[in-house]
Amino acid sequence: MKNREITLHINGEEYRLNVAVNRTLLDVLRDELGMTETKYGCGTGECGACTVLVEGKEVNSCLTLAATMDGKRITTVAGRADFGRLDHIQQAFVDEAAIQCGYCTPGMVMKTASLLAKNPDPSEAEIRHALEGNICRCTGYEKIVKAVKKAAATMPGRAAAVEPCKEVVQ
Amino acid sequence: MSEQAIVGTNAPRVDVRDKATGQAQYAADIRLPGMLYGKVVRCWEHAHARVKRLDLSAAAASPGVVRVLGPKDVTPKRYNSSVLDLMVSESMHDMLGDIDDQPIFTDHVKFQGDAICGIIARTEEAAERAAAKVVVEYEPLPVYLTAEASRAPGAVQFTPEKPGNLAFQLPEAMFPNHALGGGDVEAAMREADVVVEDAFYVPKQKQCQMEPHAYVAKVDSGGRLTCWTSSQMPKLVQRKLSKLFDLPMNLVKIVPTVIGGGFGTRLGMISEPQACAMALAVPGHPVKLQTLREEDWVISPSRHPGKYWMRIGFKRDGSPLACDARFENYKGGYYLDASGTAFTAGAWLGGMYRFPALRYHGESYFTNQGLTGAYRGYGNPQTNFVLEQLIDRACAEFGADPVEWRKKWHKGVGDDGWCPGVTYPSCALDECLDRGAAAIGWTEKRRKYAKQDGPIRRGVGVAVMNHTSGAMPMLLEHTACTVKLNEDATAEILFACSDMGQGSHTALKQIAAETLGFPFEHVQLSPGTSDVAGFDIGAHASRTIYVGGAAVKKACEEVKRQLFERASLQLGVPADQLDIRDKRIFVQEDPARGIDAEAITRAGVYHFIDPATGEPGGVPGQIQGYVSFFPPHNSPPFGASFAEVEIDTETGEVRVVELVNAHDIGRAINPAAVEGQLEGGIQQGLGFVLSEEIYYDADGRVQNNSFTDYKMFGPEDMPKITTILVEDADPIGPYGAKSVGESGLVSPVGAVANAIFHAIGIQFTEAPITPEKVLKGILEKGVRDYATIRRS
Repeated sequence: MKNREITLHINGEEYRLNVAVNRTLLDVLRDELGMTETKYGCGTGECGACTVLVEGKEVNSCLTLAATMDGKRITTVAGRADFGRLDHIQQAFVDEAAIQCGYCTPGMVMKTASLLAKNPDPSEAEIRHALEGNICRCTGYEKIVKAVKKAAATMPGRAAAVEPCKEVVQ
Repeated sequence: MSEQAIVGTNAPRVDVRDKATGQAQYAADIRLPGMLYGKVVRCWEHAHARVKRLDLSAAAASPGVVRVLGPKDVTPKRYNSSVLDLMVSESMHDMLGDIDDQPIFTDHVKFQGDAICGIIARTEEAAERAAAKVVVEYEPLPVYLTAEASRAPGAVQFTPEKPGNLAFQLPEAMFPNHALGGGDVEAAMREADVVVEDAFYVPKQKQCQMEPHAYVAKVDSGGRLTCWTSSQMPKLVQRKLSKLFDLPMNLVKIVPTVIGGGFGTRLGMISEPQACAMALAVPGHPVKLQTLREEDWVISPSRHPGKYWMRIGFKRDGSPLACDARFENYKGGYYLDASGTAFTAGAWLGGMYRFPALRYHGESYFTNQGLTGAYRGYGNPQTNFVLEQLIDRACAEFGADPVEWRKKWHKGVGDDGWCPGVTYPSCALDECLDRGAAAIGWTEKRRKYAKQDGPIRRGVGVAVMNHTSGAMPMLLEHTACTVKLNEDATAEILFACSDMGQGSHTALKQIAAETLGFPFEHVQLSPGTSDVAGFDIGAHASRTIYVGGAAVKKACEEVKRQLFERASLQLGVPADQLDIRDKRIFVQEDPARGIDAEAITRAGVYHFIDPATGEPGGVPGQIQGYVSFFPPHNSPPFGASFAEVEIDTETGEVRVVELVNAHDIGRAINPAAVEGQLEGGIQQGLGFVLSEEIYYDADGRVQNNSFTDYKMFGPEDMPKITTILVEDADPIGPYGAKSVGESGLVSPVGAVANAIFHAIGIQFTEAPITPEKVLKGILEKGVRDYATIRRS
């Protein structure tokens, strides 16, 4: 198997790698770099659990060959949290109880980031359409859709009114 | 304590920050030093065959391979990957006839995906390359995909222990004539004015949990086997592996990992035996076994499909006289859970309505389909699809409103639940029906849609359900729990029952904090490894809050008792006159008098004699509470679902417009988590009734083991959802709680089928009700206005 020298910029850090040309980006992230926050769900691009951002755009990392990613800027769900401080999308998923087993969550958060970058004010129909490639078996999507709406409303720099949080025990 | 401060609130989930940032560690995320990779070689070509020749030499010589394991290289003992055998007494076990018929690697392939041999290699890729070099020659055997085929005379026998390939029928010793129920069904039917009867087919549904099964196993230098697994039942897996590998339980350690969805598929074991057999072959090296999605699909058990026949007799005024039913389910190639669903499908039937006479036969037959086992609802959606449609057919016959009929005839407080002699302590199903009907606009829409024009038709339907809160008294119910107070009066709880993502550990923490009188964030709850945590039967039968919550509450009450006893000595007031809030113990009649819990716990741990007085500083000893808890009863939840559907009679497509789930859950410990269970349940219930089914070709090979070919409801398919929590505190459950884990998916099944009946006047006897079946039904029977079906 041939190898190729590549440089990846993952969550702001530079990684110089020598990867076999048949390795997917998901393989390299999980097995070679130990970045297990991105999940394997199907390996065939059907479930969206492995979604990451490449140059700000959503990509199924299980369908992407790592060797083709030379020089690219890649963001995983871990790259959105700052030493435990959640970003507005992650916080919205927590606040709206949109996380159950959590296995789809990294992909859902990245898909939401991609959607809101393109469309900062999506309608419910647009949210549901955007999430079609991401499967969740726990929530019936009800609270995930609410979380995406809340993430849109709480996007940094946005002046829009924020829905009041649900009651939370402090 | 009068008002609860923490129970009943949406306390923040204990695990979601880790899950939101990707820090939560699932089994596949584990990496250990020196780790090797396992691969199970499976039979993909055949669903029924004998292995004529197995040649592992080329695989063994493949680069990076450490060991190859055939059937003769592992224990010859067989196992039963499910756990029902551990949940009943020995005599009951003999009566039910559970068997151990699963080998680690087989020479008789009984379903597509059966395990042939194993490869252990230095990388996953090396293991896969070696697996491709394994040479297997098969002798194909006849393939049986239905009960009718496998019980035919002359059929190849799956095991000599079960003649006729009848894996299970209700045992005569417990169920005369192999039937559950009572009363004279034949005599009652002769008195009936209205009899409804039909033969149904219920589908094989896949759990589709998002995390594919993965394991790590390791044998250390002391000979101890450790297995990292996402099983729903870590303690029972410990026992099963101990028996299979002839190791004492102290040499089998289970480390429960974060669970990426279960829905029953992780009830008991799946590939733990193969992972551990590999680890035992390479002591000192951890072995990781990760299944692919398409592999997970065929090797993990799915919902029991099969034929379900039922007839129900009524008097003209609608009063029910008798119900007669038979569920013949199609097992896969092995026995696991053959007894369970065959029984429970009838138990839920018996628990629903006041039938004076009931006769239910439940039988399981081996087939060469993929395995069947536990799936959320465990026989209940199957019964719901059949029973609730026949009730609506009868209501149409005698002109009754389906909501009113159900309100009149459902079982309630004091009636026997699913197990005779175990009565319902609470029931708020009437309120579920009333509030659900109001939410969907039942009266107006039933009238409006009874007569329609045009190709697009709408209908509304209702269905009800009963379920269970734990498996008592049929199966063992036992949870041990330890609560330890740190010296700063914070609490650590050890509790082995897994949180599958439903939020149970959060709710249990709320129960603990409430009971102790501690702030939520001063309570820690950890599942613990099997060597540290006490016994627990596992997360199944919707038991975690009802049974586990009661165990946590009891252990916390014991801790509180010890705290009050010590406070009583300090305050000079009897313990029964004390109360606690925010960790301050005070006199009920004089709240200004009190003592901080921390003063007691600190003095208990850092215990000294005052050098000035020679007196001890408080009572010595760290406070711990421990219970080994067996619940005294079972308080089943009830639910009513209302569906509105829109049918395109030209294409057969059914769109679910709205689904209302009104559930009597006793008390919601964490309302957002309860809603989450009911909403998620709807997605799976809609799949059961409208779109989900595993299809096999004539040779028993699965046709749709992928998310593209197996249709689940996606975010755009989901209807408007209304969730109604009916809170009528149960007198027995902890803080009044009953269960909610499984029940949400059950009654949407019947409600949608009945809404279709209301819309086009046709009932469908085969689930899922796909557009093809709807079109076929319309072509054969024609669309009828519901109003014309009613006799009166």
